[in-house]
Amino acid sequence: MQRSTEAARDLFQAHGTAIYRFAAVLVRHREDAEDVVQETFMKLLRHLEAGGDTTNLRGWLFTVAAHAARDRQRRRARWIPWAPEHETAVPPPSLEDEDGRIRSARTALGRLPGRDRLLLALRAQGLSYREIASAASIQPASVGRLLARAADRWAAAVRNDGGSYAVLERRTTPGAR
Amino acid sequence: MQCLNDERLQALADGEGSHEDRAHAASCAACGARLRARAALMTSIEEALNPPVELPADFRLKAEATGEQEGRAVAAGEQEGRAVATGETGNGATRLRAFPGESRNFRLQAEGSRRWIYTAAAIAASLVAVLFVVPAVRKGDTTVSASEILAKSVSQLSAVKRGIEVMEYELVLGGVPKEMIPDQVDGTYRVWQAIDHDVPGRFRFASFTADGRMVSSISEDPIAKRRVAAFSSEGQAYRFDVTLPSGARNMSLPEIERLHMEASIAIMQASGNQLVETIDGPNGRLYRIEVPRVSSPGSNPVWDLTEARVLIDSRDYSVVEFAVQGSLLKSPYSLSYKQIRHVVGASLSPDAFAVPSQPGEIVVTGEGSAVPSHDIVVLALRALAQAKRAR
Repeated sequence: MQRSTEAARDLFQAHGTAIYRFAAVLVRHREDAEDVVQETFMKLLRHLEAGGDTTNLRGWLFTVAAHAARDRQRRRARWIPWAPEHETAVPPPSLEDEDGRIRSARTALGRLPGRDRLLLALRAQGLSYREIASAASIQPASVGRLLARAADRWAAAVRNDGGSYAVLERRTTPGAR
Repeated sequence: MQCLNDERLQALADGEGSHEDRAHAASCAACGARLRARAALMTSIEEALNPPVELPADFRLKAEATGEQEGRAVAAGEQEGRAVATGETGNGATRLRAFPGESRNFRLQAEGSRRWIYTAAAIAASLVAVLFVVPAVRKGDTTVSASEILAKSVSQLSAVKRGIEVMEYELVLGGVPKEMIPDQVDGTYRVWQAIDHDVPGRFRFASFTADGRMVSSISEDPIAKRRVAAFSSEGQAYRFDVTLPSGARNMSLPEIERLHMEASIAIMQASGNQLVETIDGPNGRLYRIEVPRVSSPGSNPVWDLTEARVLIDSRDYSVVEFAVQGSLLKSPYSLSYKQIRHVVGASLSPDAFAVPSQPGEIVVTGEGSAVPSHDIVVLALRALAQAKRAR
């Protein structure tokens, strides 16, 4: 048990922020992203204590987080904060976004099919093709093809929204992670 | 070697490609340029979808919600290199902890004593309370589903009202209902209607074009026992003024509209796929509910909505906007309603329920029946025959 608790703690320290950022892209509200982190690491703890597979825990974490984010989004779509008559409560705050990039990126992302959204969000967290395949439940050999299409669709959606990414003009090192 | 396809190029951009492909991209100007563009795109995605947000400093795993004091004790215990529970040591329950001074951190703590079973039970009870009971209680009085909102709206629509209700709204018709009124090409109307809820069957409905020209005006008054329908066709104004047969109680045009709205919202409510969001309107919060596609039951539905959305005022659940598109009896139709003014208990002058005369109108009078449209046809044909005999 001590070993699993230490492993869980290490994984939280190593991937807690990444899971939060990943969730922040997939869900709309900060508190939902926090809930995704909560749920993911609670499940990790149970997984470790139950002696679950530990060969690809990073991929496992993102898989659980992806499912938790999807569930939260579905729930958000059906359930909203209840405002009694004359109550002036405001909806939960969205994520901070000083330059609007998150908002525009998420708006464009929202126009894509669910699998595209998931693949791009996983890729943005630097997951390998093997980890992406595991988290998205697809064949590893299909990841490149599906990612290429998703990226093209995302770029088209950004442009359709009138957005332009200065970074597109920037020189980058191919393959650099 | 052939030039790289998108999939292999993507793999290279993602650092997953083969040495051969990388060598080709280095030697082929076209593939090299494509690779640079693809890599730039992926960098954009990475930057855009990896927002520089940090877990809040006060982020705490929920299982910890009751254990701040214990957490400090555990933290102190860990500094000494051993597992410590509050006042107890040993083996037992496991839990996640986060500490105020150690952001994004948690402790997994084994603890126990001869009384470990009581500690474990207490922790389990706390967890159950925090994870299940508290959210359940909170949800009960803090959330409402799209289905509930729609149900309240239907109740509001069908609620018995008193006094005079006046509504002004924009109505946009498409498909079959639009074709039924060929004079109005764009299918857009501004409607004014008054319903006297204290006198069943008393109403007046008037539709106008965007530039204020009257398209039609219909009224029924059981007290005066008159039913009047005025409209224009090919530039000629007509007025059908008939007696209202005693005991006649037809569904009025406003009632038909309301029932259509009620039925559409009920279908939306039955859909398991509503999308709801709150938006701020000029007079407060509004619920916007949308369903992608709903059909009436059966494999060959007589009523099918390909799109339906409604905007509901959170203060009284009245419908502020309503739009549906679909087919009825296999005929495509669409209807959009946007409320401009709604007053219940309005004070109107007595002649507000009377249809005003139009210049140059042809007046046809007679006895009415239970079927208003039938009256118009019969009376028009009768008037035509009389005119022919007069010649």
